[in-house]
Amino acid sequence: MLFTWFMLAGLIFLLTPQKLTNKFQFAFARIFSWPLSIGRNISLSARMQQPSTDVVSRREYNKLQNHLTNVMQELLQKQRKIEKLSGLYDRLYALEGAKVMVADVITATINSLHSELIINRGEADGLVEGQIVLGDNSIIGTISDVSSRTARVKLITNPTSKIAVKIGKLKVDRLMQGNGNNSAKVQLLSIKHKVKTGDTVYALKKPGFLDAPMIIGKVAECKRDDENPSLWDITVEPACDIERLNDVAVIVMNPQE
Amino acid sequence: MRWIRFAVFILIVTVVQAGLVNIIAVTSLNIKPDLLLILLVFFAIHCNTSEAIITSFMIGFAADIIGSAMGSQMISFGLFGTLLAYLHRVIAIRKMPYQSLAIFITGFLAGVLAHFLNLFKDQPTPLNTYTIIFWTSLYSSLVGPFLFLPSAWWMRIKTYRFSRN
Repeated sequence: MLFTWFMLAGLIFLLTPQKLTNKFQFAFARIFSWPLSIGRNISLSARMQQPSTDVVSRREYNKLQNHLTNVMQELLQKQRKIEKLSGLYDRLYALEGAKVMVADVITATINSLHSELIINRGEADGLVEGQIVLGDNSIIGTISDVSSRTARVKLITNPTSKIAVKIGKLKVDRLMQGNGNNSAKVQLLSIKHKVKTGDTVYALKKPGFLDAPMIIGKVAECKRDDENPSLWDITVEPACDIERLNDVAVIVMNPQE
Repeated sequence: MRWIRFAVFILIVTVVQAGLVNIIAVTSLNIKPDLLLILLVFFAIHCNTSEAIITSFMIGFAADIIGSAMGSQMISFGLFGTLLAYLHRVIAIRKMPYQSLAIFITGFLAGVLAHFLNLFKDQPTPLNTYTIIFWTSLYSSLVGPFLFLPSAWWMRIKTYRFSRN
């Protein structure tokens, strides 16, 4: 009997539209944003640690540590100043009339199955589904779900993500689809077009969300398609290291202020 | 069963699974052990059947909270946790290799079922889903039995005196 009731509850969760069930996930991310961020920062710093062979004295170490603390404090103050001046700061050359909403990353799930972020901005901050998200001045994804205070970002590497792009100076547009594994694919491009590794890939403008093309990634690999040798099989890697982003920026076109 | 301890434990493990476990992720596929799966097997073989059913569904719910969609893990963890609890009434899973095997099989089957259930919710289905499920289950099965002892200590469960009712 117990089993039946729980199974029923599970089926209700499964069949309820994701828009509603997302509220549980967003609530968890919001309530535990602090420990989740700490856990993420620890794992990131652990991954970034390089084996060091050089050793400095304790005195030198303390001196450098103090300098770092001072610089960090200075940086913090500058960041606050920038946030205060967001009206000016948030207007980029290519995005006239748009506002860039800075958001912290609460959790990042980046693997072959899911590539998404949960950020600490939501409907209350003017976010809606489909808005473009930037990381280190390049496009990293789009808003896929929003709650009042949090939002989910579907990364460009997510297998369900499809974005219209152009490669380098080519005048043809193609769809770029996420590949999982921190990369995306551009297919159906004839080999008569010259494409090489390292070419910049731009997301095309999208009325209401993006007014000018912006960098989205770089061509990491370019080879003939196995199934159709007259086409390219292009692998694109994001223009920034998404996994290590601590904050992102959401483009809010025509903000209502 | 100490339910408050259980709730706190699951909460901590869920937060750790969502963030900190990435430290020990391996390969470019970002394979990491599933701590909630390990706990699922732990409670299924150390509690009585009705407790195992409740814990299985609760752990599945926690896995859904940090997953991509709600419902799929709750059903798959609940189903296989319950089956494991019933199986444990017939075959005692005491030795570490058997516990490892139980984690691996449960993880793989629960992962496959969750994958199919996720199709209802239009979730992404990459080509290497089964590879990821396989390696995650294997990694969990290697780490899992070593986490049973601290889990038993926290839950005040005496592992050598478990019942089979």
